[in-house]
Amino acid sequence: MGKRKRYISRRQFLEGTGAVIAAATAGPALNLKLPAANPPATDDVAPGAPSTAIRLVVNGTEHRLEVEDRWTLAELLRDHLGLTGTKIGCDRGECGACTVLLDGNPVYSCSNLAVWTDGREVQTVEGLAHGEQLDPLQQAFVEHDGPQCGFCTSGQLMSAKGLLTHNPHPTAHEVQAAMAGNICRCSNYNRYVEAVLAAAATKDVTASKGNLGHSTASTKLGPEVSATKRRRNSRVSDTVAGGAR
Amino acid sequence: MSRIPALGSLKTIGHSTPRIDAIERVTGKATYSGDVHLTGMLYARILRSPHAHAQIRRIDISKALALPGVKLVLTHENCTVVWGAGSVSGGRQYVDEIKKITRQKRYVFNNPVRFFGEPVAAVAATNRHIAEEALKLITVEYDALPLVLDQEEALRPESVKIWPDGNISLDAKNEAKPEVYRRGDVEEGFRKADHVFEDRYTTTYVHNAQMEPRVCVASWEGDKLTLYTPTQGTSNCRHDMARDLGIPDEKVRVVCQYMGGGFGNKNQNQDADLIAAMLAKETGSPVKLELSRKEDFIGVHGRWPTTQYYKVGVSSDGVLQALQLRGYSGMGPYRKNSGGIAGIELYQCPNVESTVYPVYTNRAVSGNYRAPEFPQGFFGIQSMMDDVAYKMKMDPIEFVLKNMTRRSNDEVPYSNYTLEECIRSGADAFEWKKRWHAPGADSGAIRRGAGMSFMTIRSPLGQSSAVIRLDSNGRYTVFVGVTDIGAGAKTTMSMIAAEELGVPLSDVDLVWGDTDRCPYSVGESGSRTTDMTGYAVIEAARDLKRQIAEKGLPKGENALIASASPNPKSEGKVRKAFGAHFAEVEVDAELGRVRVLKYVAVHDSGRIMNPLTATSQVKGGVTQGIGMALHEDLVYDRSSGQPLTAGYYGARIMTHLDAPEIEVIFIESDDGYGPFGAKCIGEAGIVHAVAAIGNAIFNSIGRRMKDLPITRDKILGALA
Repeated sequence: MGKRKRYISRRQFLEGTGAVIAAATAGPALNLKLPAANPPATDDVAPGAPSTAIRLVVNGTEHRLEVEDRWTLAELLRDHLGLTGTKIGCDRGECGACTVLLDGNPVYSCSNLAVWTDGREVQTVEGLAHGEQLDPLQQAFVEHDGPQCGFCTSGQLMSAKGLLTHNPHPTAHEVQAAMAGNICRCSNYNRYVEAVLAAAATKDVTASKGNLGHSTASTKLGPEVSATKRRRNSRVSDTVAGGAR
Repeated sequence: MSRIPALGSLKTIGHSTPRIDAIERVTGKATYSGDVHLTGMLYARILRSPHAHAQIRRIDISKALALPGVKLVLTHENCTVVWGAGSVSGGRQYVDEIKKITRQKRYVFNNPVRFFGEPVAAVAATNRHIAEEALKLITVEYDALPLVLDQEEALRPESVKIWPDGNISLDAKNEAKPEVYRRGDVEEGFRKADHVFEDRYTTTYVHNAQMEPRVCVASWEGDKLTLYTPTQGTSNCRHDMARDLGIPDEKVRVVCQYMGGGFGNKNQNQDADLIAAMLAKETGSPVKLELSRKEDFIGVHGRWPTTQYYKVGVSSDGVLQALQLRGYSGMGPYRKNSGGIAGIELYQCPNVESTVYPVYTNRAVSGNYRAPEFPQGFFGIQSMMDDVAYKMKMDPIEFVLKNMTRRSNDEVPYSNYTLEECIRSGADAFEWKKRWHAPGADSGAIRRGAGMSFMTIRSPLGQSSAVIRLDSNGRYTVFVGVTDIGAGAKTTMSMIAAEELGVPLSDVDLVWGDTDRCPYSVGESGSRTTDMTGYAVIEAARDLKRQIAEKGLPKGENALIASASPNPKSEGKVRKAFGAHFAEVEVDAELGRVRVLKYVAVHDSGRIMNPLTATSQVKGGVTQGIGMALHEDLVYDRSSGQPLTAGYYGARIMTHLDAPEIEVIFIESDDGYGPFGAKCIGEAGIVHAVAAIGNAIFNSIGRRMKDLPITRDKILGALA
């Protein structure tokens, strides 16, 4: 991330949003000319806010950062590292839009504090493609029309990536179970399952794992919050959701 | 009106095509409104009412203002902007004159507050955590008022009046009247009928629950506002903002490059847009306002709950003689949209009367959700008719074929008609005769059953605009005001341009989602984009072809620019899309659990522009409908008026594990209108899905489930 652009003027931003996008048909050509319309905000820690120095690897790049103790991993990624591909759909561990891989396992980044990732390795949707070469999962999502609105897509991809890393040839039901914590309100579930099975059928899907090229640091600080993906096989009527603000 | 070219001549339209922005969406590069960051931006949060109905006696914001980093606090005391689209007499949100005369104005901050979660104050601060801290420092004293949550109960004389005019929403003339439709004489029809049946059905509040929660970034440069906001219609959002803020349209720019769904609750401007704009204006800094998921659930809107009373008269040969609906729609305390209940129009019947009351309650505000008035009404009437068929000892399909609509309201011809073909071909594909049995005949622990439903839905033509520019490099740039809610409008518009221009899709660029760059579009609501804006793209392409024929291809710095703002009509005919759904379910009689085993959805939406994305639309709509039928609800505590299930988990939104395989079959008929013969598709899938599930459950267990959602406890209760 040495070359990452920390600030961008509004004028630059406006030019960015107006850019036309070449109409791409199927095929893996990645349009990398899109300007970064989502620069990192500021990694300033608010004055007086409790903070901690951490070291973590994101998409193969090591970062040494001072993070506020109250920041979630999702917040760190989106607002302070400029990785806005990770979406926040509920910020309370219900929807899965913020799913990233933490040491290779899918977790909800909204439900992990940034300080807990000290010494660990994070992979986000931005880390899936190799340059212009899409990951087979991304390619299958394009061809099988996975994203409708696309807001849940990053999370669906990361859960699928985590699944295929551990189980390269899942059944349809295994895909559904592994991705049960990733809600798609466009309800394109059939398409996502099709796409994951299609990606699993391509040979190179497992070859692309571990592309980070960095060994995972062994120090782990703070509580281990493993994948919070809920299995919702059984539904409970009249479940009381979180309390009022 | 030109005729549609033969299917075989089409090079792009009709061919499955991945979305033109799919790569942006799978790589994380797509910029949604919440990803926008402006230098010096403040963060905003909203304090919401912890009471369902209360008078605010006092608000003390001094401690919040004293917190370092807090820049501004807005309340009803220092901000009196009316949110026009938030509550419009009669739901006629597009008519400025009605907004001016209405007595039931909804301000951005209201006193009294009329639902749990209504905005009370908004804070702008240097970061989101400080803004959240500041909310806790605002002291509000409330005098709680009596509350009413149910739409029927709200009309009892002893119920609290939420507005001085009472709890029936005022119509466009400020009169408290129901929406009434009549033809023939129902009383005469009931006298003539050999059998008369009556029943009551209810549906619940189902939230749109789009994945992207409400967010808005507002920025002023001098007297011009730029708003980055997820909106289904940049043009109508701009117009609403300008009117509410009292500035000309051209002083507002609305930008929406990517949006994470909406299903109807991101149309128009939202109070979040106004709050962000006012905070930005007063602080002199850009402001990003983010709603939490819970706030989105209770503070934006969902589908209106309904209570429906039906009375149906039939002759002994099973022909409808009279049909009557008395319905009540719970709108929350503001009538954001119509509150209609559709379904009556599905039947050919000489004597019809529909009376629907839009009623105020102290629940979350209701509004448009994918086919706003359809799934709830179609569930009611098609369950009712399925029951009438059963009592008349008829196969449901036989009953439908005998009584379904053949002309719009029995009078006006449709532009074409394939409803019968949809039903018959669907029944074959589903193997109806094999799967359907006498209701309740299956008596084991696991009981299978089959149900069907059918639909018509409006597919009107109308005004929209498009511009196409051809430069000397041979690039065709299409300018359209679409935002692509997720249905694939950007891809469809590009495909239409490529087809009409006779060039490959890769020669077409698209500029979208920005009111300063794009012409008017009707916006992605009412399944209108393909029909209306798509038709404008065709007309612009024709204009461009004429210019090329006259002037030749542009050279050097020159470019050709073509534009069109057509407003086509369907010549005294009614355009509708048609469909039929068939579901097989399995009910566990011991656990009450319902599983959908097979689902066949047959649709005639005219020419299918892009089979890949159109199929996804139907699959998604059906799946949402299954959720509405079986799970989804916003449950309230009756004494406090507090919603208990706001959120994905509580409201039991469909997940991967709940979603069955949906088989989609398209019947493509040409009615001679619309772009390449296309009709509406976006809403079509959900319209009758709920009814199909309800009818399949009846066939399975022989008990009519009359109240949504059809949860396990209700099934076990019915079987007890």
